[in-house]
Amino acid sequence: MLILGGLALLLFISAFVAILVGTLGPIGPGEPERITFSEAIDSIFNDSTYHWVFWNVRIPRVLLAGLVGAALACSGTAMQAIFRNSMADPFVIGVSSGAALGAAIAGFLGLSAVAYIGLGLPPLFAFVTGLLAAFTVYILGSVKGRVYVDTLLLSGVAVAAFLGALVSFSIYLARQQFHQLVFWLLGSLALARWSYVEILTVVVAAGTLIVFLYGRDLDALLLGEETAHNLGANPEPLKKLMLGVSALMAAAAVAFTGVIGFVGLITPHMTRLAIGANHRLLVPAATLSGAIFLIWADTLARTIVSPDELPVGIITALCGGPFFLYLLRRHSMGRES
Amino acid sequence: MRLEVKNLSFAFSDKPVLKDVNLEASDGEFLGLMGPNGSGKTTLLRCITNFLSGWDGNILVDKKPIGGYTPRALARVFAEVPQISSTDFPFTAHDIVMMGRIPHIGSMLDGETRKDKDIVRKAMERTNTLQFAGRYFSELSGGERQRVIIARALAQQPKILLLDEPTVYLDISGQFEMMDLIRGLNREQHITTVTVLHDINMAARYCDRIALLSDGRLEAVGPPEEVLTPETIQNVYGLDVSVRKDPFTHAVYVMPRAARVPLRRHGTRVHILCGGGTGGPLMKALIENGFSVTAGVLNVLDSDYENAADLRVPVVAEAPFSQIGPEAHDENLRMVEDSEVVIVLPFPVGPGNFKNLEAAKYAIEKGKKVFIVRAAGGVAVDFVDGKAESFINGLASSGAVEVGNLGQVLTAISRIGGRVSG
Repeated sequence: MLILGGLALLLFISAFVAILVGTLGPIGPGEPERITFSEAIDSIFNDSTYHWVFWNVRIPRVLLAGLVGAALACSGTAMQAIFRNSMADPFVIGVSSGAALGAAIAGFLGLSAVAYIGLGLPPLFAFVTGLLAAFTVYILGSVKGRVYVDTLLLSGVAVAAFLGALVSFSIYLARQQFHQLVFWLLGSLALARWSYVEILTVVVAAGTLIVFLYGRDLDALLLGEETAHNLGANPEPLKKLMLGVSALMAAAAVAFTGVIGFVGLITPHMTRLAIGANHRLLVPAATLSGAIFLIWADTLARTIVSPDELPVGIITALCGGPFFLYLLRRHSMGRES
Repeated sequence: MRLEVKNLSFAFSDKPVLKDVNLEASDGEFLGLMGPNGSGKTTLLRCITNFLSGWDGNILVDKKPIGGYTPRALARVFAEVPQISSTDFPFTAHDIVMMGRIPHIGSMLDGETRKDKDIVRKAMERTNTLQFAGRYFSELSGGERQRVIIARALAQQPKILLLDEPTVYLDISGQFEMMDLIRGLNREQHITTVTVLHDINMAARYCDRIALLSDGRLEAVGPPEEVLTPETIQNVYGLDVSVRKDPFTHAVYVMPRAARVPLRRHGTRVHILCGGGTGGPLMKALIENGFSVTAGVLNVLDSDYENAADLRVPVVAEAPFSQIGPEAHDENLRMVEDSEVVIVLPFPVGPGNFKNLEAAKYAIEKGKKVFIVRAAGGVAVDFVDGKAESFINGLASSGAVEVGNLGQVLTAISRIGGRVSG
């Protein structure tokens, strides 16, 4: 409880600081506009000069970063439990490559023009194709209604490679939208808006609650399907439910922000090393950590080359890659002893 | 609780694994499940827990079919201990034992209660695992892990405990420790226990009854001394064994019969003068190399007497703890006459069996080929004040060949050759 309280507090502080950091704000590069701390607070709470900017650009962006981080971390935690493998991530069953293809098709059809009406078609396209890809992998990975995680993993790899080739091909074809599509593939929170925040709030709240409630069953599943069965956790429905919820959260996150890698892989892994594998604690802790991590990664992404910004996926991969290798090395050293 | 398996059949795809198995474990019984690899033991356990579906027949717990239980209710009846449990994920020993409470925690919204924690602590105390409750499961030794899994099974408060070769990856002291623990729990808490075991002697020692599976069928079921007969074991495992009684526990124990049947019988007949267990290895080696073997006067209950009986070697016997009498000595001499080679082993010589050395002298006089195997230190175990030693030296100087070990004996007598029959 103490850990979760601490993480919640840290999340709140992170979000608050992140809102104040940026091209416009009391902290940050100071370009194009440096304002004082009190001006910033004033702008947030009163209808003054920058009120609109804070409420319609900065705040939804920070919230979206938190929600996407939470969705990916929670989805990754569940996937790692189902696959009994800490190398699994939310995209292991093809969600990201499916969504990428959807976004590419939408871009190719010139649908991005419609993007500013409400939800926009590209996210919807990406969401649907992401789920379709996951469903295809699921069908390929199950025999007579039984999910075989090894087959599922390999099907995921194969489908992702196939869809990845199609995405590359569409990048090649759609030269004009090339930059846009690559930006999407690297992941960015620049298009954040309130409607995204609202939808994702519902998805993340429902998704994390379900994963949390089945936490004890996930613990049992990690000791093998037979043990899970013998502890009363019915493994088949459990795997299906978790795959569904995880795919849904991952697809929703990817649809709005593109493919942000490493969050869903590293956050659960790191949190587990810190507090253990008990899912009743791990699920909320990893979810909160994912939110904190992505808020800071995005803050870095939008300030580091200010007034320009980097795709946040580059930041997460830059921080995550070496850290992940470090964990991997440490893990394999531990094996020798 | 009483477990009944009725007419159980199961097939993987088209390959039948269990064929019409009928078995029951009465309340509080300790039942061993045995059989060769692939005979269907693990499959039977998995059908009983309903982990495998699609079997035919009936499985009843206290007369109620297991199909009538929800997965969680079934997990309150059965606890299972697999051969080996491992996870790369950082669960502590305490986490693992707490998982035993999963089927008892009413709602997914509930946390673990005081009662759950008490039960877990007691289970860990009983299995002697409390001292490493906070350590990671993956860092524990095989024996410690298996005890943690037993603790988890206890925390499950099962009516029936199922174990699949719980000792298979443990060293010998770990095996006994584990079996003592399981047997203790079975007796104290009256948990009906069904365990797959590979070690026949372990099963004989601990089980009330043993069920022997062979190729998916139940071959025999009953108390160890009824099931573990040389005939049944020959049928099921295709292994020639002798069955003896443990002198301390009176449990039966089984050991593979010493000799394999040779491909080709060698005609040469060899008579062995031995005692106190010195003759066993030579008898086995000679039989395997196709010689016909007889053995010199042995007291009933002497370990060489038992060796000879196991190998079906004709032997001149004398009553236990008695001196070699005239009848036995004469018979021994007749056997010497009938053989081509006589071998004297470094048996302990006392007044009671000194006549065996005299038989060797008789063999030399009769022109038999006589070999003397010298004891490792060069001196025989002599309880007749050096008389044996000097007698043996006398044999050596009157034509007996001295050799250092059994290998040399075999090489030497193989050169003699002989009739090749049947």
